[in-house]
Amino acid sequence: MNNDNASTNPKLIVAVQMLCIGIVLLVLGVAVVLSSPVKAMSPLFRTWSVVSNGSIILVGVAFTVGGVLRFRRLG
Amino acid sequence: MSSNLFITAVYLALMFGAGIFFSRNIKNTSDYFLAGRSAPWFWIMGAVWATNIGFLHGYLAHGGAAYEWGLIQANFEWFQGPFGYILTGLFFIAFYWRAGIYTVPQFLERRYGNGIRTIYSLAWIFVFLVTIAAELYLGGMFLKNILRIPFWPTVFILTGVVGTYMLLGGLGAAIMMEFVQFVIMMLGTMPLLFILLRMVGGFKGITSTLIGQWGASAQYFTVLPDIHHPYGPGPWVILGQCLVVTIGWCAGHQSMVQRNLGARSLYDAKLGYVVASIPKTLGAFLYIVPMIAAPVVFSQMGIFVEKSDAAYGKLILHLLPQGMLGLFIAGLLSAGLSSIGSVLNSASTMIVKDIYERFFVKGKPDHHYFVAGRVATLGVIAVSLLLVPVVLKVYLIMWLEQLLLAMILGPFMAVLVLAIFWPRANTPGSLAGFLTGGVFAVLLQQVFGVDIFFQISWWSFVVALAVTFAVSLLTPPPRREKTEGITWQSNFEDLVGEVVENRALAGAERVSEVRPRTIVLPPWYLNVKYWATAILVGQIALLLFFG
Repeated sequence: MNNDNASTNPKLIVAVQMLCIGIVLLVLGVAVVLSSPVKAMSPLFRTWSVVSNGSIILVGVAFTVGGVLRFRRLG
Repeated sequence: MSSNLFITAVYLALMFGAGIFFSRNIKNTSDYFLAGRSAPWFWIMGAVWATNIGFLHGYLAHGGAAYEWGLIQANFEWFQGPFGYILTGLFFIAFYWRAGIYTVPQFLERRYGNGIRTIYSLAWIFVFLVTIAAELYLGGMFLKNILRIPFWPTVFILTGVVGTYMLLGGLGAAIMMEFVQFVIMMLGTMPLLFILLRMVGGFKGITSTLIGQWGASAQYFTVLPDIHHPYGPGPWVILGQCLVVTIGWCAGHQSMVQRNLGARSLYDAKLGYVVASIPKTLGAFLYIVPMIAAPVVFSQMGIFVEKSDAAYGKLILHLLPQGMLGLFIAGLLSAGLSSIGSVLNSASTMIVKDIYERFFVKGKPDHHYFVAGRVATLGVIAVSLLLVPVVLKVYLIMWLEQLLLAMILGPFMAVLVLAIFWPRANTPGSLAGFLTGGVFAVLLQQVFGVDIFFQISWWSFVVALAVTFAVSLLTPPPRREKTEGITWQSNFEDLVGEVVENRALAGAERVSEVRPRTIVLPPWYLNVKYWATAILVGQIALLLFFG
């Protein structure tokens, strides 16, 4: 098989993937926080809701930052 | 609009948008089918696990089975981790890589010839079509029951989202989405375990209520029940599940293997597969252990569950508050979408690489097969949608899928093991063994009335192994080029830079450029063997605790 088009730089693919993952997790986490009646929850549910959403947002932030840094490194 | 519906809509819109954004980087078939061979090991870990978990093999069906049969259902998680993921990562993935292939059937052809490749491809394409239809059906029903939205529009929306990012982005988009889904499932749905354990008084509370007060059998709490257990007798779990089905699934399922072929190096592929056994093991705490606690919670809340498959949905619907329920719906949708996406990608790869390119249009430029891949994805979506009403109305097609899997996995394991570990295995032997093993599986089920899946798989494996062995000895040995570089006895020290790279350079289908080989040793904390050992020790401790 011939290779008509050169492949995309693998490092660019990973950078785009990291950025997309980060933004999806971040926006989803924020959307869940905004639509959750945290104050009305019982303490058990409130604790786990905060832990769960907080960790998703944290992972989202980490991947977004990682993706941006990788983009910058690629120039 | 309720907050749960809002979160679901935001999640689906994000998946859709990210897929379109990513697709701008896809240029050729290597990018489309193998993600440009760019994925690092942690991508592989998340993608392999998310591929494995769906509505069918995960929250709804496995969770429902755990509700009905108990801890035995955790076998799929706790034995598939060490036996399937680790053994495949350590022993099989390297040979797929060295063969420079896109699909598992291509490996079978390299080692054995055309016939077995065609049979294997067609069987899996059928299984994939049924799997997508079943996942869409379960997803549609789940959203219909929990969000009160109509079935068919839901199915079309799910198909539209997953179809778009798969159609445009190929394996790279699939791996990316699967990592998102991995995070949402792990972090979003794990709290249910802790909430339920708190409500029922821990593991002791579950056993004292179910055994002490309700008189449930102790078999409900064991991973290896006795020989008379109707669902999964212990000896057949060890022989059929651990040694045949789990390894056959991990080493032979195109979706599982394809994620590893998209890795940036063989080392990343192996480490990714080995560490994927960690989320696989933890999966039991997402939907098996909670469903064992569920009967106690249902009795506390006065809820009656008529069908075990509906138990997980009913539990979260009645237990979780707004917002948190929305995140759970996103988590469950993640499971379904990752499964549909990976199977869709694998089906289109097999259709183009194993059928279209071999039998219909040969020697066209790369761009032709790139477009063909997208058309095949569209075709698979259309056929799967047409199959949804069939899955909806008759059980025959699901029965056929189970029968095909029982026919495929045992014989496949036999010919794969001999392909790698016995260079004398040849084309006539493998074909005879594969077909005899498959026919024997049908006979066991249809004539002798054996209905334990693991038992069928074990005996079809043994028969295929014996026939392949005997016929190979009675016929001439394979030519050297059929075995060099892809069997256990190959001398890789001598072959590195010679046979392997020459094969890649000469291979008519290899599209990515062959880079100069530089061997970089990983740091100790990323050593595959250390990880495999640590995971095995943890697994044994887990089994001793729950055993």
